[in-house]
Amino acid sequence: MALPWALRSCLQRPCVLRSRRAPLGGAAGAGLILQSLSDDVYQNLAVEDWIHEQASLENRQVLFLWRNAPAVVVGRHQNPWQECDLGLLRQKGIKLARRRSGGGAVYHDLGNINLTFFTSRKRYERMDNLELVVRALRALSPRLDVRVTDRYDIVLGGRYKISGTAAKLGRTAAYHHCTLLCGADKSLLSAVLKSPYQGLRSNATASVPSAVRNLLEEDPALTCERLLEAVAEEYAARHHVDRHVTLINPADEAVLPGIHRKTKELQTWEWVYGKTPKFSVSTYFDLTYEDSVLQVKVDMEVKHGKIEVCNIDVPEQWLPPGLCQELAKSLTGSRFCPDEVTVLASAWLRTCPRDDELRHKWNLLCENVRMLM
Amino acid sequence: MLWGWTGVSLVLFIPCKDHWGLHGRITVLWVTLFSFAGVAGNQGLAYTNSRKLVVNSSSVFTVRYFRTTAVHRDDVVTVNTPAFAESVTEGDVRWEKAVGDTVAEDEVVCEIETDKTSVQVPAPAAGVIEALLVPDGGKVEGGTPLFKLRKTGAAPAKAKPAAAPPPPAAPEPAAAAAPAAAAAPIPTTMPPVPPVSAQPMDSLGSSVVAPAAAPVAAPPGEAVPSKGARSEHRVKMNRMRQRIAQRLKEAQNTCAMLTTFNEIDMSNIREMRAQHKDPFLKKHNLKLGFMSAFVKAAAFALQDQPVVNAVIDDTTKEIVYRDYVDISVAVATPRGLVVPVVRNVENMNFADIERAIHELGEKARKNELAIEDMDGGTFTISNGGVFGSLFGTPIINPPQSAILGMHAIFDRPPFTGTCPALGKARPPAAVLESRLAAGARSCWPPACQGSGCCRQGAGRDGPRP
Repeated sequence: MALPWALRSCLQRPCVLRSRRAPLGGAAGAGLILQSLSDDVYQNLAVEDWIHEQASLENRQVLFLWRNAPAVVVGRHQNPWQECDLGLLRQKGIKLARRRSGGGAVYHDLGNINLTFFTSRKRYERMDNLELVVRALRALSPRLDVRVTDRYDIVLGGRYKISGTAAKLGRTAAYHHCTLLCGADKSLLSAVLKSPYQGLRSNATASVPSAVRNLLEEDPALTCERLLEAVAEEYAARHHVDRHVTLINPADEAVLPGIHRKTKELQTWEWVYGKTPKFSVSTYFDLTYEDSVLQVKVDMEVKHGKIEVCNIDVPEQWLPPGLCQELAKSLTGSRFCPDEVTVLASAWLRTCPRDDELRHKWNLLCENVRMLM
Repeated sequence: MLWGWTGVSLVLFIPCKDHWGLHGRITVLWVTLFSFAGVAGNQGLAYTNSRKLVVNSSSVFTVRYFRTTAVHRDDVVTVNTPAFAESVTEGDVRWEKAVGDTVAEDEVVCEIETDKTSVQVPAPAAGVIEALLVPDGGKVEGGTPLFKLRKTGAAPAKAKPAAAPPPPAAPEPAAAAAPAAAAAPIPTTMPPVPPVSAQPMDSLGSSVVAPAAAPVAAPPGEAVPSKGARSEHRVKMNRMRQRIAQRLKEAQNTCAMLTTFNEIDMSNIREMRAQHKDPFLKKHNLKLGFMSAFVKAAAFALQDQPVVNAVIDDTTKEIVYRDYVDISVAVATPRGLVVPVVRNVENMNFADIERAIHELGEKARKNELAIEDMDGGTFTISNGGVFGSLFGTPIINPPQSAILGMHAIFDRPPFTGTCPALGKARPPAAVLESRLAAGARSCWPPACQGSGCCRQGAGRDGPRP
């Protein structure tokens, strides 16, 4: 697609980090407003990375507007098992992504808009950006009771959170992004962001849960489209930028060279789950077998998403000796992932003797271990 | 530094700290001088780092080494937490690199998370991480010491900044080594050094490039590209794969396998499919594939030859016949081969089979396959044809007794007596446990071919089993 000169020049990358090339010409305060054509969370996060790394931001700023199909996005140093119900995500086909900025876990869907403010590191100013958003909201609905808190949230009516913030500071560039709830599925949001996993201990960044509300509930005129327009207008006014919004296709390698690789990297298991800080699982579950209930204790240590230490304690004589150790040994070194348990367990089943009772017990045990993941 | 003369050789004793931080080590250089005048002004003589002494042949130095040490300027530097913005007082450290990792200048060593913001802390210079002063997740304030970096003064080999240190025997980025070697008179490559750490090797690699570029007089034609690099690359075997392979091998050792290849004329199936696929899709909202035909045919055949549906119980030495047919359908996933089971196929019609397969596929895609979905099965069908393979020998899935591998469809002119008419053949490979199926061997393929859907074309003279 034919790009305006401004976009092309803005997105030109400096050759080397320490280039002594003069920053691209243009009046201070020059900038760009981009909106994504895609609702794929990985593609959109990849665009953020791309702009952060490649665009020359010394004298210009960029606003990036994007929305995602249902997805949960966790912060860079969070533990997905602690933050959300992964089983429910899998069941509903909701994607899980890990962003590169810090902060807590959020649920995105098409009723939520995301705003990313790219500036040079010197011009990084979160409060300014959030005040801008509040002004945009008030322009659409003057009597709206919204304000920015000192935790960089935007609250409605003094108690409902409608926007959360996260940011990333690089060496020379920085970005601040925030969400804005227009008409998201609140019940799904709270169901999905509730972790059912017990016994997890880690020093990963924890989310701070808050009561949320949609702007549409407050004022039906506050649709996503109108909000996007209002924020773009306010941004253009504040930063003396052309208010024309440029649409960008995150799959276009010609416009964004290297974007496919970035998108792929964000989708890998090693990034989404493997970047979880080290944690331990210490829990138990009850097995109901033929009128008796047995307690099974499980202890695991997981680093880089892989099980480093695994102990499964089953009451004596319920399973032949050594079989539990067999399972624990197979799991050690595997990913902390239900698929792996399924494949391992069924592989063993294919080779075990024809003892229906044993097979049933094995299935029961493995299925429960699987549910821990 | 002490000087001494021995004959026409100059011996230099240079006390300095060496790479291991031991003081008082002495570097001894034998330098045989033919022209002293050449030393000072010779651009070819350069201490790029102390591991290298590059000599310009025109100044006719030859150098022999006894020991080498590293030159250190400011060797170890402590990097502190950067000041936080906007009245933030503390943050959590998340390490990206570990002790011993080599980093380039500006490469991110850790991130500090402060109040929803992730701040990167880059390395101020190229070097090796010597110590991490805060545990992962530990709290720091602005100015808290974070880590110690031992500078090397040269960037690590660009090719692999994040990989493990290459073993010393591995060749340098071959492009660097090759032109250096090509320029024969210049001793730019060192004799093999003891494998103490990667860092000197890395700096060796890149410093070979810089000085070698200047004095190389070799003709451009000799500039050798990186072909012929004969390095090795070890990847630890996936534990899961190891164990599965071990299990399967154990089971196979008890099986005496034989394989029989046959061709099936697919023209009838293709015709049936072409005729019915649209109404099928409309009625059942499912695609009519080939699997339902294979599965149903196999079900008929297994009922006709029940010994193939049976299994040997090694513990009791009995043959266990089953009156139900559960067919495992092999599916390749990124995790490995999984074989979910379609149960009681003998009672299913094509629509039921397609539905069951579709549901299992959906579960697999969503990572929701439960263990009981994969348990059991009396027979397996593996579809190798999707990969285009013409013939193959699938491995029996223990504890089953047989597996049917379906392969690609190809055109084959059948001989109808007068003139050839085009037919489509699909060779199935049936692998049978010959302890059980020795007798069935002769009957199984025609039982499969003769069943409802795979009728042979009239007059076709196919291979006899």
